[in-house]
Amino acid sequence: MSGRIVSLSGAAALLLAAFLLAMPTLSGNEYLLALGVSFAMFSVLSSGLNLVYGYAGLLSFAQVGFFGIGAYTTALLVLERGWSHWSAAVAGGILAAAAGFAIGYASLRLSRHAFAIVSLCFALLCMIVARDWVSLTRGSMGIPGLPTPVLQLPGGWQWRVAQPKDFYYLMLGFAIVAQAIFYLVMQSRLGRAMRAIKLNEPLAQSQGINPLAYKLLAIVLSAVLAGMVGGLFVFYLTIVDPSVFDFYYTETMLIMVIIGGPGSFWGVLGSTAVLAALPDLLRFTTDLRMVLYGAILIAVMLVFPGGIGGWLQRRRLARWRRPRGSEALAPDPGGTGSGGAGPGHQ
Amino acid sequence: MNVAPPLNPVAPLFEVRGLSKRYLGLTAVDDLSYRVEAGGIVGLIGPNGSGKSTSIDCVTGFQRPDAGDWLLDGQSLARLAPHRIAQAGLVRTFQNVRAYNEMSLLDNLRIAGQEQDGIGWLRALTGGERLKRAQERADERAAGLLGLIGLADYAQAPAAALSYGQRKLLAIAATMMTRPKLVILDEPVAGVNPTMIRHIEQAIRRLNAEGVALIIIEHNVEFVMNLCSRVLVLESGRKIAEGAPSLVRSDPLVLAAYLGKSRGGRQAAAHG
Repeated sequence: MSGRIVSLSGAAALLLAAFLLAMPTLSGNEYLLALGVSFAMFSVLSSGLNLVYGYAGLLSFAQVGFFGIGAYTTALLVLERGWSHWSAAVAGGILAAAAGFAIGYASLRLSRHAFAIVSLCFALLCMIVARDWVSLTRGSMGIPGLPTPVLQLPGGWQWRVAQPKDFYYLMLGFAIVAQAIFYLVMQSRLGRAMRAIKLNEPLAQSQGINPLAYKLLAIVLSAVLAGMVGGLFVFYLTIVDPSVFDFYYTETMLIMVIIGGPGSFWGVLGSTAVLAALPDLLRFTTDLRMVLYGAILIAVMLVFPGGIGGWLQRRRLARWRRPRGSEALAPDPGGTGSGGAGPGHQ
Repeated sequence: MNVAPPLNPVAPLFEVRGLSKRYLGLTAVDDLSYRVEAGGIVGLIGPNGSGKSTSIDCVTGFQRPDAGDWLLDGQSLARLAPHRIAQAGLVRTFQNVRAYNEMSLLDNLRIAGQEQDGIGWLRALTGGERLKRAQERADERAAGLLGLIGLADYAQAPAAALSYGQRKLLAIAATMMTRPKLVILDEPVAGVNPTMIRHIEQAIRRLNAEGVALIIIEHNVEFVMNLCSRVLVLESGRKIAEGAPSLVRSDPLVLAAYLGKSRGGRQAAAHG
């Protein structure tokens, strides 16, 4: 049963990837390609947030900070130090991960709430540093005119990522690799341990699970990939300025995760695809665009309070609670005596 | 079996020395010392607020005591984090039963066992023969335990679908997945009907038969007297009696603690 679902979603994933890879040849529409780049970029951010929030249970506002750190680091290393684009992006990811480790290690010793607040401060601080450390970041004007990335490929090949199509492939390729990593971790026993920590931390601790280690793993992994995608994305924009730390990114990826259902890989990926396109799909009515966007969000929240993934989960639970034949699920001979089935009793 | 422990020449499996925990003016646990022999089942009883749960929270790392040391198999566990204490083989259940309600029973048990099988993070991601074997062993053990607690048909059902008593059983099965040396059960039958109590008793006996020692906190005196070879009685954080169940039952101090003194004494510490 669950095996069939897995192979079904695997086939769907392959089909989707094939479609996305073939899209530029099916249609040279640059507007579609731009949407594709946006989807690829946001998918890395939202899946990272899904790992941190949906799995490890940590509400985090820090993703945008990692994204921007990666963007600035990559841009500066390429421009000022003449690094290759690959190694600069990797360095951006590593620096973002180091920042993630630092804020996580410092605040998680207190509580999840402390982490949420520290992550918010971190993101704001990043923006202030980018704006005010003028000698390094050139301040609010940003660094325009980022060069066309030239990627060294194995076998002495060079890939000049100049056309929108090239960027589309670069971002899509990176997103696919990143999603594969997120999927691997979420489906493994590591993801299971993270969910255990989110669902019941004392119980997990009492079973030998180290919450701090798993939470840091989630944060660091999401930070590396967010940093790297930032390092790739700003070269598509050809400018890096303090707006890479904008709250817009935070709010968008939070909405993507909440609508998709925290803890649901496919749910979040699906909502990312829809929400990356939605503001543009609503362009037919410029005046009402954001009003409609808001209305759709509210409607979805009302219908699916746990996101799409949460709705599916509830259906699954309901199936087990349904009486089978004449007998209810519980084989418990006398019920529970003093109380009925269900969580939260006593 | 019921010999007074201090004279026992054999090193005990678990030993608590001088455990104390104070909250501002209140002394919740006061210089508590006791031992648990390998394979023993020790009952920990006492009126509400006598420090049973606090002392358990301390030795399992969930609260930091003000004084005291405790050793499992000769290794001090003081100041270790809860997960380290669990990895060392001292595993507890919780008074208000805890389970991963949204996860299947099978996953509940898999999680309980997964930190003890020596598979590191990298191997958990890259897979391979060792991971596969470890998972097969864990699944086999989990299936056996689900059979033992009568829930084999519900391996894929979420824990939230279980009754309260069934989740208490699941919690006991989960401790068995962790390869424990000593399991502390905090009120395993509180709020559970008599039929389910028999099931839980069977599960506990089975756990003990595998060589695991137990400490059982419970208000159900009959249940404790039935299972335990030795009983400790706490009142106001202090140990006021220790010995065979039959001896403890008639100890005047214990009767006073539970029922109140006949004159001039404290009000009875009533409990449910």
